[in-house]
Amino acid sequence: MLNQSEKAYCQALLALKNKDYQAATEFFDRAAPYFKENKEFNLLRETNRLLIAVKEKLATADHEEIELEETIPYGQETELR
Amino acid sequence: MSKYYAFKSLEGLLEVFLDKVVQLKAERLQILEGVNRLDDIARLSGEGGDVTDEIGEWFAAHNQWLNEDVLKVGDAGRIDRILTEIKNGLTVSSGDSAASRKIESEINRWSELAGAGDGRLTLRREPEQKIDTEIDSMVMFDNALEGARDLYHDLQGGKQHVLSVLDDALRRAVLQKNKQALILSAFMIYYLKHNGYLMEPFIKRLKEAERIQKEDLTIA
Repeated sequence: MLNQSEKAYCQALLALKNKDYQAATEFFDRAAPYFKENKEFNLLRETNRLLIAVKEKLATADHEEIELEETIPYGQETELR
Repeated sequence: MSKYYAFKSLEGLLEVFLDKVVQLKAERLQILEGVNRLDDIARLSGEGGDVTDEIGEWFAAHNQWLNEDVLKVGDAGRIDRILTEIKNGLTVSSGDSAASRKIESEINRWSELAGAGDGRLTLRREPEQKIDTEIDSMVMFDNALEGARDLYHDLQGGKQHVLSVLDDALRRAVLQKNKQALILSAFMIYYLKHNGYLMEPFIKRLKEAERIQKEDLTIA
């Protein structure tokens, strides 16, 4: 049988292939105990983490922009920006 | 550029990077995915499930591996081991049915063709090549010794003690995953141990370096 961490690393890469970054995070976490010293593993894991953080930030920013647009009818667009 | 567009640009950059890495590993990933799937089937079989259909589908999907010569020796060995586990569980789970007999014969065919690594290489070697290989192995060892000596001189620099050189060799074995540095470290440890030095911490570091390099080979 294959080592569970090896399986998890493989699944993380497959998740990246499918652009399912959230699933990739979970698989990277499962593989971490075995691969924590592996530079390539760490690079991919941290890049994926950063990407998710950026996406979260963008989701919030999208929300903020919608709120800003709602205030435009009051003629305060310049002030708010 | 606004903060929003800076994040948007970073998002694109990170996605492209991950995408390129996956593309570079595409062929390897395909193999790992197949081995992973086979391992899942073996687990199911180990739990007493009837895997006749699953294993049949797996063979159908991966038969081309035998013709395309894409499997590394390590992969072939893994597949062989997993297939043996499945074969052992087949009779228990599905009895002596025609389907299970067919699967068993297919497993035997795979084991023969994929081989378990060493056997495959030996079978392909012609008698006269054996002599060449022996000569090659001596030349290769001689080159390795020379390489280790060169590396030792590189690492020596202005250091005052051989232990400092060993420390650097081990560091290079870990950080750069340098196999030559690993071999040099092992040689130095053995030499120093015979000269009365206490080498336990260095032996631990050597084992760690070896583990890291092996890990890399597994994933590569």
